[in-house]
Amino acid sequence: MQSFQQDCVDLAFRRHRRGEVDRRTLLAGLAALGAGVFGGSEALAQAARQLVMVNWGGVANQGFGNFYGAPFVAANPGWTVAQDSTGPSAGRIRSMVESGRVTWDLCDSSATSSYLLGGLNLLSRIDYAIVNRENVIGPTFALDHGAAPYSFSNVLVYDSSKFPTAPTGWADFWDLQKFPGTRLLRRDAAGTLDAAQISLGKDMANLYPLDVRASLARVREIRRNLVFWTGGAESEQFIRTGEAVMGQIWHTRAKVLEQESNGRFKFIWNQGILQPGIFVIPRGNPGGEMAQRLLASMLANPEPQVELLKFLGNGPTNPRAAALVPEEFKRFNPTEPANARVQVAQNGRWWGENYARVNADYIDMVTG
Amino acid sequence: MTAAGRPGIGWWLLILPALLLLLVFYIGPILQVLAISVTEPEPGLGNYERIFTSESVQRVIITTLRICLITTVLALLLGYGIAYTITLASPRAKGWWILAVLVPLWISVLVRAFAWVTLLRRQGLVNNTLINAGVITEPLPLVWNEFGIIVGMVHYMVPFAVLPMLASMREIDPRLLAAARGLGASRGQVFRQVFLPLSKPGILAACVLVFIFSLGFYITPAILGGGKTLMVAEWISLQILDLIRWGLGTMMATMLIFAIIATLVVFSRIVDLRRIFGSGA
Repeated sequence: MQSFQQDCVDLAFRRHRRGEVDRRTLLAGLAALGAGVFGGSEALAQAARQLVMVNWGGVANQGFGNFYGAPFVAANPGWTVAQDSTGPSAGRIRSMVESGRVTWDLCDSSATSSYLLGGLNLLSRIDYAIVNRENVIGPTFALDHGAAPYSFSNVLVYDSSKFPTAPTGWADFWDLQKFPGTRLLRRDAAGTLDAAQISLGKDMANLYPLDVRASLARVREIRRNLVFWTGGAESEQFIRTGEAVMGQIWHTRAKVLEQESNGRFKFIWNQGILQPGIFVIPRGNPGGEMAQRLLASMLANPEPQVELLKFLGNGPTNPRAAALVPEEFKRFNPTEPANARVQVAQNGRWWGENYARVNADYIDMVTG
Repeated sequence: MTAAGRPGIGWWLLILPALLLLLVFYIGPILQVLAISVTEPEPGLGNYERIFTSESVQRVIITTLRICLITTVLALLLGYGIAYTITLASPRAKGWWILAVLVPLWISVLVRAFAWVTLLRRQGLVNNTLINAGVITEPLPLVWNEFGIIVGMVHYMVPFAVLPMLASMREIDPRLLAAARGLGASRGQVFRQVFLPLSKPGILAACVLVFIFSLGFYITPAILGGGKTLMVAEWISLQILDLIRWGLGTMMATMLIFAIIATLVVFSRIVDLRRIFGSGA
């Protein structure tokens, strides 16, 4: 299963290949995603101490940049931040911490994994004496065992040439009479079942805990009209080639579809599933407290966050960032106040406690 | 060789590095997989019990077996026709035929899977042609289902079916066929009573090869199945990487290895495997 971060790196490279962005912007963007080597080669050679940040983008390790890293490296002489692109899945973090040989400092993870791994005592708690809670827009972005320098959303995308009236939410997604055609969902329970639950008419303010049985049954209802994606590029392709007329995909891919099709494919923020891009610190990390400082610096600087939004569409999480976003990018910013208001913030705690069981059931249902 | 005809110690030393390599990097990890399957999440045979109690485990096994059997049968039928044509072709044509069989083998399995997606999808070449020709009005569901998987897998497996059958057909003495004709047998009789029985070792060899290959197939089903049809290999990767149910994943991996060994054992009773895979002779 491809993660959101992996997909962002894919997108960045595609835009660079097409000549839409220059090399400098590419490297800066990769660095902002945590997928470059900060500090430069000179600093690396002198450095006795370095922090290891783990991301999902393999090729990105060749990149050099200093979007997020520069403020940190400048404030902490002698430190550099190196990148490891192993892909810090929950399984890998678990086996590393349990083996007692931790080499990672800061891992690009998710809210679900932070609760899952935090509950198993495999992560360091975020020290909110160092990381400032005031630097994020909401409580779901600063958790006990992780904090988010960016946000993303699972949104409803549709082919406007197929429907006389536009769908407005997940109830329309499930309405095959009014909106006939194949639907596209991610082969992952998180995000999908949230939407199924909303389509059943549950109040968005009290969405959690989800009624798993009813949500699974809801997806099963339209099983014959479903196709599933596992990677971001795949999700874009399904919509672009007309395999599906409506889907739930990451907003970064929905943005590309809308822009490149000149508005034939549209997406709506209404009832989007807003999620934080959570970074976690494995317990016993070699850099110790410095990892907390790096995370604090990533959250504290709104400018690089806005640059990342312009580059790929990842939403800034710093409260001062929204004012810096140029008008033409507001439409695509998940944390723009007008957009955030109509979405539902995914409950990472509930998913952390239930993900393993619910996702297994979901996949059984999908393949049944 | 020593005077007694037995390999001396020097000969054993020659294969020692390969043996060590296999032990450390192949046998070792497989034993580890076996160990995890009986220790996670708790010691015991709980994971293996799931084969009898869990509907989803049974479903993935049955789906895999069904797809593998259909693939094997189709690949053998198509492959037999091709091998037969090659055997009877002129030496010049033979070369071109064999090239045509081998070229697909050299193309990446990933590329071929995506090529099939391009052909079979709703707005793909096949559906568009049929709609433009007025044969159908709505696109046919040709991909993202078992049909798509089987098309992709048969395409991959046909060369593996052709090659062993071709080798075995080449050993058939053409004079036997001429003699049968001379004794008054019809073309059909010559094929059924002389050629077919003589090519049987090749059919069995192709059968083993294709079936075992199909069991562990990963990329083609993952791409052409559209996420809805799971075969064993993809199911294992899902358990290990996404669901973190290592015990269950390694249990299925162990079962896969045993299934392959069992298939080989059964077939070795029927045919001489060493001859099929080219050693001994």
